[in-house]
Amino acid sequence: MTELLITRPEHDDTTHYLSNWSKEIIDIAENKNIKVFDINREKAIKKNVELRLNKMSCDLTFFNGHGDFNVIGGHNNEPLIIGGENEGLLKSKIVYAISCKSAKELGPKSVKAGAISYTGFDDDFIFVYEPEKISRPLNDNTAKLFLEPSQLFMKSLIKGNSVREGVDKTKKLLADNFLKALNDNDRDSAKYLWWDLKHFVSHGDVDAKLQ
Amino acid sequence: MSNLSEDIKELVIFRLESLHSNKKISIGSHGEFSKEELIEHVRKGDDIGKKIADIEMEFLRALKEGIVS
Repeated sequence: MTELLITRPEHDDTTHYLSNWSKEIIDIAENKNIKVFDINREKAIKKNVELRLNKMSCDLTFFNGHGDFNVIGGHNNEPLIIGGENEGLLKSKIVYAISCKSAKELGPKSVKAGAISYTGFDDDFIFVYEPEKISRPLNDNTAKLFLEPSQLFMKSLIKGNSVREGVDKTKKLLADNFLKALNDNDRDSAKYLWWDLKHFVSHGDVDAKLQ
Repeated sequence: MSNLSEDIKELVIFRLESLHSNKKISIGSHGEFSKEELIEHVRKGDDIGKKIADIEMEFLRALKEGIVS
């Protein structure tokens, strides 16, 4: 049975938005008979993630949270995966990390340590949102311009597409939303969509797909 | 990016003024910022201010090069 590990800390506005927008991925995966291990809120700490990655044959790992060039963060930014320390836990896995900058250094290190692929952002992932929608983040149409594309990569993989196809679809939607923002004279969203588009990258076997 | 010149700061702040007051920007691990907070960071020329200037200048270069019209 295919397995998906997902981390969803929720300790600030950014992680609250990422967590809520990624809930749909859990539903889609379960409908495809994928076993989902959802490590949410204060459970998203290193000990739990290491335990689960050591136990499972997990094919797909999806990290939401803050990060840095060499780190994926969890609850209260506790480091979950650290390059040079435990990236070997990602061996034989397709990895997607909405964890800023981590695709720059941790991505290549993870692939070197045996990860099938590592997709994410090689600089900060930036999005615009409307604070008045904080209690209903899925109704935030400004954030949607950014977060819908960021979730599309996972949807594409779950549907059986390759990493490369997922990356292409994600970049296309980011580009479409960029043009939409420009046409709507929303230059603030446009410049950050342009930034995200330029920094969305993938390392490793981009022809890989879920078995 | 090296230290921000006063000209760059002025340009970036001018462009940030267009951001609606009812919106905030999430900048990865740096956190979430209102328009006023972003402008303050640019004025100070700190790491966040430099990041914002970097994004702005990259976008302006793309406009100039005709990548975006």
